[in-house]
Amino acid sequence: MEDRLKKFVSENREEFDVFEPRPELWQQICQQIPPPQKETTKVIKFNFGGHGSLTADMMLMRVAAAILLLLGCGLTLYLAKLNVPETANNLATVQPATIRNIAPELADAEVYYINQIEEKEKRLSAYDLKVLGLDGTNEIDRELARLDSSYNQLKKQLLSTPNTERVVEAMIQNLRIRTQVLNHQLEILQNINKETLQPTSETQTNEKTNV
Amino acid sequence: MEKISYQDVNQHVIERCRNGENRAQYELYKLYSKAMFNVCMRITNDYAEAEDVLQEAFISAFKNMHSYKGEASFGSWLKRIVVNASINAIRKRREEVVALDEREAGEIPDQVDEDDMEWQVEKVRAAIQKLPEGYRIVLTLYLLEGYDHAEIGEILKISESTSKSQYSRARKKLIDIMREPQLVA
Repeated sequence: MEDRLKKFVSENREEFDVFEPRPELWQQICQQIPPPQKETTKVIKFNFGGHGSLTADMMLMRVAAAILLLLGCGLTLYLAKLNVPETANNLATVQPATIRNIAPELADAEVYYINQIEEKEKRLSAYDLKVLGLDGTNEIDRELARLDSSYNQLKKQLLSTPNTERVVEAMIQNLRIRTQVLNHQLEILQNINKETLQPTSETQTNEKTNV
Repeated sequence: MEKISYQDVNQHVIERCRNGENRAQYELYKLYSKAMFNVCMRITNDYAEAEDVLQEAFISAFKNMHSYKGEASFGSWLKRIVVNASINAIRKRREEVVALDEREAGEIPDQVDEDDMEWQVEKVRAAIQKLPEGYRIVLTLYLLEGYDHAEIGEILKISESTSKSQYSRARKKLIDIMREPQLVA
């Protein structure tokens, strides 16, 4: 069945549009169009979404994701900040305590040996080396000074090295060597003293007897 | 062919609209406002309401410019927005359209003798305006806005066959109105 009405309308289609909106209507429309800045943000939005409700969901998800990300970052930073002062504090407390914390046994040994060394040095200084004809002891003094400085170096190392045991061992060894050296020196001096004293007393008695 | 080249001409303006350029928006408005306003008028049959709908439709179109992917001509994309806005407006106004398919099936329209009909645009147009709302909408969507019955069914949320029968009843009613003597006067 041919639709004459349809044919007539499509043939005269243009003439059916007889109305026109008021020219002022554009003013009202353009005032309500969102500004370009918003427009561009929405462009991004719709590229991903498509339908209205979908984009709303997408936006929500994105906002939620952003908030989660920020929270995550904040938490990590916060925890990192919490951790840093803790370790810093540890280091700070370690440094003044030094040997007491790292190797308590060394502290005792150090006190003991240093007392020994000092005592022996006092005894050594009691001898008049020139009188005994032992000017060459300079070398031993130098050796002792070298041991002392290497001891101090080891002490510094002890604070930074993870292998404290070996350093402590070396330090005690150093102290022992020094006391041994001093002991040896003392022994020598004592022997010399005996020898020089005996002959002088002999000569004195000899002289007396001679006289 | 003509439609395709027309679309191409608009593509540039559409692009500028997407960037929120006011002048491009005005250009599109100038191009389409008259045709779209007549769509509004035919569906709402009320000048003030048609203006409100046109305003709402254009704002919504400019806001959603990015969702126009160019699968159809810009005109038909815009027209769909206008049609939907118009239908929504009268739905809000009255429940009548919703009850479209509940109208009694009625007599199958007789084969009216149209040979002696005087076909004048103004006469047809005025008669369309006199049609009951439900008839008017289906008939204008089919005859003037160029939708097929499947599309009309989708727009009005009725079945395709309802759209078909509604159209043939509307058509008969239209001829009846045109035959009424007082219309001529």
